[in-house]
Amino acid sequence: MIELRNFSYTYGTAENPALKNINLEVRKGELLLVTGHSAAGKTTLALAMAGILHHEIGGKIEGSLSFKNRDIKDFDGMKELSRYTGMVFDDAESQLIFTTVEEEIRSGLENRGHPEKETVRRLEEAMEFCELSHLKHRAPHTLSGGQKQKAALAATLALDTEVIILDEATAELDTQAVRRVFSVLKRLKEAGKTIIIVDHNVEDFLEIGDRVVLLEKGEIKAVKSPADFATFPEEVALEIEKGKQDYSHPEKEGQPVISVKKLTQRYGEFTALDNVDLEIYSGELVAVLGKNGSGKTTLVKHFNGLLRPYSGGVIVKGLDTSRVPINELVKHTGLVFQNPDNMLFEDTVEAEVSFGLNNIGITGYQAAEAIDRSLELVNLKGKEKVFPRHLSHGERQRLAVACVIAMRPELIVLDEPTTGLDAEESDRMMQLMKRLQQEGHTIVMVTHNMQIVKDHAERVIRMESGKIVGDSANGILGSVKKEIKSTEGKSAEGE
Amino acid sequence: MKEIMQYINRDTFLHSMNPLSKIAAVTGIIALSVFTTDSAVLGLMVLGIFLASLKAGLQQELLRQLKLLVFLSLTLILLTVFTLKSGETIGYLIPAGTLAAGRLVPVTTGALDFGTVLSLRFFAMLFAFQLLVVTTKPSDLMKALLAIHVPVDYVLMFVIALRFIPSLQVEGQRIHEAQLARGYNPGKGMRGKIMSVKPILVPLVANSLGRTQVLGLTMDMRGYRSRQSVEKNKLIWNKTDVAAVGCVAVMGLGVVLGGFM
Repeated sequence: MIELRNFSYTYGTAENPALKNINLEVRKGELLLVTGHSAAGKTTLALAMAGILHHEIGGKIEGSLSFKNRDIKDFDGMKELSRYTGMVFDDAESQLIFTTVEEEIRSGLENRGHPEKETVRRLEEAMEFCELSHLKHRAPHTLSGGQKQKAALAATLALDTEVIILDEATAELDTQAVRRVFSVLKRLKEAGKTIIIVDHNVEDFLEIGDRVVLLEKGEIKAVKSPADFATFPEEVALEIEKGKQDYSHPEKEGQPVISVKKLTQRYGEFTALDNVDLEIYSGELVAVLGKNGSGKTTLVKHFNGLLRPYSGGVIVKGLDTSRVPINELVKHTGLVFQNPDNMLFEDTVEAEVSFGLNNIGITGYQAAEAIDRSLELVNLKGKEKVFPRHLSHGERQRLAVACVIAMRPELIVLDEPTTGLDAEESDRMMQLMKRLQQEGHTIVMVTHNMQIVKDHAERVIRMESGKIVGDSANGILGSVKKEIKSTEGKSAEGE
Repeated sequence: MKEIMQYINRDTFLHSMNPLSKIAAVTGIIALSVFTTDSAVLGLMVLGIFLASLKAGLQQELLRQLKLLVFLSLTLILLTVFTLKSGETIGYLIPAGTLAAGRLVPVTTGALDFGTVLSLRFFAMLFAFQLLVVTTKPSDLMKALLAIHVPVDYVLMFVIALRFIPSLQVEGQRIHEAQLARGYNPGKGMRGKIMSVKPILVPLVANSLGRTQVLGLTMDMRGYRSRQSVEKNKLIWNKTDVAAVGCVAVMGLGVVLGGFM
């Protein structure tokens, strides 16, 4: 179907090639998984296979790329290629052009000039496939990240192209939604479609994959069979979900850092939080788990006063959040949001960190010291003068954390700190959390990444439709924790 | 959150109109608003548009813009009072003895008339455009504009601009929250609004620009720029269509003839 021979590619303004000497043949009906770290060239390879590099982006192209046994250059632009290939990108918001889900899918079908009957049939089918029927009149901005991804996916699947390319198209979906996409892809594969999944985490799709291509620094490092790829056992996730024991904090004494009492939050008719009780003590590392829309983010927005209780109360370090202004509360609670690009606006990394400090009245020598310390902590030393948007995604995420920890809040709350980060960057982020905990901070992270919960959290809170349905010690971690502590002691002595 | 300029999914007589006739009527109203200086004609148009919205039960949508429009009107009238002196003087803005010995800033009938005309123009144009947007599905709007041979790139630009208004509102809110979490407190009132521009607007614009590539590629991959011909039978004219375009045409004719007399 698609054949690359000695294919190399360099972006217009770049010095180094993004892809080097790629030799790869994608067979008809194959399900190919492409994985690798950030900046390994995954997305570039996907764009190449869709013909977008040749026909839209340009740049320096070497070697050959044929599609359906024809040189891809000979096709009549994306106009012709888009009849054979559908592609879903990672940024779901940008892939929704119209104001309702139904219109989105339908207009794509109308572009292709299908008769009305066929259009309606495919529309219904795509919405059912992706569980969107109940959302068909909803506007994009009212959908959650996961729902948007499903809508973008449905709009592409409805076109029924021979080749489907998914570029990080499931990053924001929770476990259940990914399973659903899995079964849709399985059916499509059985129907003979050629499917290419590009993701830094392909584990969810190993079962239906035919081959896994591992990219590193623009080159194919290995082509493996899915069986050779280590999987994350599902039992672990289940074990976490069940929880080994109910959480109690016998050794914790004194005032909790945060105390939530009978907290209820409503948006119009919708109850986002329903009578939530919770106490978090100093020095804890807590993970808040739950499906999209279960109230996780709403809960943590109460920790720094961004939301005020509809009823009930939240006490942060003895301060009642319904009375104390936000700019006072942020000295105690640092909240890092999911998307670092929603906060970065200064011209240098340094200025970005000092913005928060100046806001709470720290300037001059003290500020310089705080900037130094926080950049050191997040491993961004030496990048003080860099333009923040030129940093990689992982670095921007860490800069966002630096902006918050510079203000030295006792409690640090992170909303989905590892979304969009590859395993290496996620790990670096979690190491950072550990260091902050050792420095005496209390850490709360909202996440749907089971792996990091399993590896790092000490206490796991599970939420479901606005309620806390589980609060347990991380059993798996608990049993090995002592061991780690003792080995840590030894290595410290060794130094 | 209040949504502005968004399609409202309802079933009113305005919804069932042909998008083309709505576009024709709105274009006519805008052209008329620009050409006529008769406040009676303009007033009549504003009244007509408002009555139409009342019949469709969409008056709330228009009234929402009232605050902005009244503010705009007052500014315009004040501006004309300061800059235009014609007709009779009916009073002074600043009475004698306040700032100087004599009276200052005469208020003339010519200035008031012109200010009113300018304001009514904005009322008519904004109301008409808003009714068009809230009662026409973006995809129908796209089909209609393509049918009258507006270049596809411009049509997509227009549709996408409308679609992203609420998304930008939501994103602006998110950015605002992120900056609040960093202790940002620009203060209230005008000063606060101006102070908050940079930390909110810079990420908002940068994010929007970052979005363009995927947006463009998506349109290509889904075939928007290589559209097959539209099914003509979908665009049917009904009585309302004829009446709406007819009304605007008659008024236009009246204004043109009036100009000769």
